[in-house]
Amino acid sequence: MKKSKNNSKTVTVIVHIIMFVLALIWLYPYAWMFMASIKPTANVMTTSLFEGPFTLENFRFLVVASEKLHFPFIRALMNSVFVTIVATICVTVLTAIVSYAFVKLDFVGKKLMDKMIIFQMVMPTFMFLVPQFLLMRYLNLLNTYSALFLPYVVSVSFIFMLSQSFKGTPDAYIEAARIDGASDLWIVFRLMMPLNKAMISIIAIQGFTVVWNDFLWPLIVISDFNKMTLAMMLATFFKNYGNYIGPIMAGTVILTIPMIIGFIVFRKQILSGMNLSMK
Amino acid sequence: MSTSALKRKRKSTFKALVFSSPYIIWSLLFFVYPAVWMVILVFSKWNFLDTPQWDGIHNIVRVLTSNLFWISIWNVFKFMLIYIPMVFICSILFALGLKKLKFGVVFVAISFFLAQAAPAVGYAIIFKTIFSQDGPINGFLAAYFNFTIPWFTNPTLAMLSIAIMVTWKFVGFYGIILYSGMNAIPDPIYEAAEVDGSGTLRTLFKITIPLLNSQLVLIMVLAIALGFGIFTEVYLITNGGPLNSTMMPLLVMYNTAFQQLDPTYSATMAIAVAIFSYVTIIVTRKIIEREVTLVS
Repeated sequence: MKKSKNNSKTVTVIVHIIMFVLALIWLYPYAWMFMASIKPTANVMTTSLFEGPFTLENFRFLVVASEKLHFPFIRALMNSVFVTIVATICVTVLTAIVSYAFVKLDFVGKKLMDKMIIFQMVMPTFMFLVPQFLLMRYLNLLNTYSALFLPYVVSVSFIFMLSQSFKGTPDAYIEAARIDGASDLWIVFRLMMPLNKAMISIIAIQGFTVVWNDFLWPLIVISDFNKMTLAMMLATFFKNYGNYIGPIMAGTVILTIPMIIGFIVFRKQILSGMNLSMK
Repeated sequence: MSTSALKRKRKSTFKALVFSSPYIIWSLLFFVYPAVWMVILVFSKWNFLDTPQWDGIHNIVRVLTSNLFWISIWNVFKFMLIYIPMVFICSILFALGLKKLKFGVVFVAISFFLAQAAPAVGYAIIFKTIFSQDGPINGFLAAYFNFTIPWFTNPTLAMLSIAIMVTWKFVGFYGIILYSGMNAIPDPIYEAAEVDGSGTLRTLFKITIPLLNSQLVLIMVLAIALGFGIFTEVYLITNGGPLNSTMMPLLVMYNTAFQQLDPTYSATMAIAVAIFSYVTIIVTRKIIEREVTLVS
């Protein structure tokens, strides 16, 4: 570093200022969402960001008044929580069981399934939109919770990811457990899952995010307002009552907050998940 | 092989099949069944109700000769032509800036990365409101510069606005991918470049960017897949307008299948769009992918 110290110091200070200002700009949409959610609708567009008066009326509107407009937001929130948790638990457990079979058990047709998974992984998700809707209709599952989580209980990319991780667990551990009389399910839940905790948590987080944020699929299979997920109900409300900015922002806050908190808490897992997806 | 070994082998195959049955059943339901339907849909005339009627290649002709299909494909490329350079420049600058920071790295990184957490519905609503005619951005412009920008209501600007909001969401994500790639480049290379008198820009274009090839390829592929799959943003903000300027393929497919009850057109178009997206990804990889190795 031969350059004059003074010069590089100024550059460093300027870079710090620019980066911090940009960081605040990047946070601005969230800040605006939070502030708008606690302002009366009439003031949202006319006041500056941190200017009052503030109220919790918008959140109360979602609880009380929406029932009269046939938009049961609280129920939608519960639907989202229920569907997302069921899908996340199912996808995590089933991925572990299937990956265990793929990696640690020997059977005919294993090679074929490996090839099949790669093929399924490169399929764009929009490809089977219509026929998957037809499947739901055929199974009489339209407007049911099952329609919301069934497509997500197995994920080929998760199986691929976890299989890669399972390959790193030595077979000797499994042999030892078998000699001690452990069943295969015990091996999956008590040995493989704890030993591959990092990948399991990445799968759980990604599974949760996908189902919680999903919009297009619920839009296709759900028309009953009592079965809508929060994302879908909020979008429908936004399309019909676009001028209720206060309540809309309150709903957006409720939809977004779990994701923001989750991202902050689990940022390490999310980042390592990104690194793994690059390989 | 003795009979007991054979028995054991059969038993283990049975067990493996039981364990992989969730995958097998799911694949039959959500992959094989839809794949069969796709074949039927492409070659049939149908409106969701009675039995599909054989229709030859009429659907293929209908898709390939329809204006809306080509408009939507062009819109994807229009989006990528704006979005990819924009997001590339922003995320490289973000990664370079992050590398220069002495303190506050975590705060800055999280501020950018947090945008990635936004559910599509949530950020579509936020941006539509912020960028609306009486929203805070236009309020600011009107107060200080005496003009407003019709972000989502002008046919030439609408796609740019969509690209801006998607960039907001993804800069942190792509930037951190690049940042971790940059950290993997050994310092002696930069020191050697400096000794050789290489300027900042020259170092960036001759050393940093070439060594980030695998990260850049990944970002390209993600960005292309994203472009072909955009739905929620345009559905909620512009509904494809104004004048079809943000009519994306997925929106056309959704509308034809579930609004105009024309599932055969939609399914045929899905295949066409998938082919377009594959070809785009393969061609892009052919052009930009390089084998990069550090010889020490």
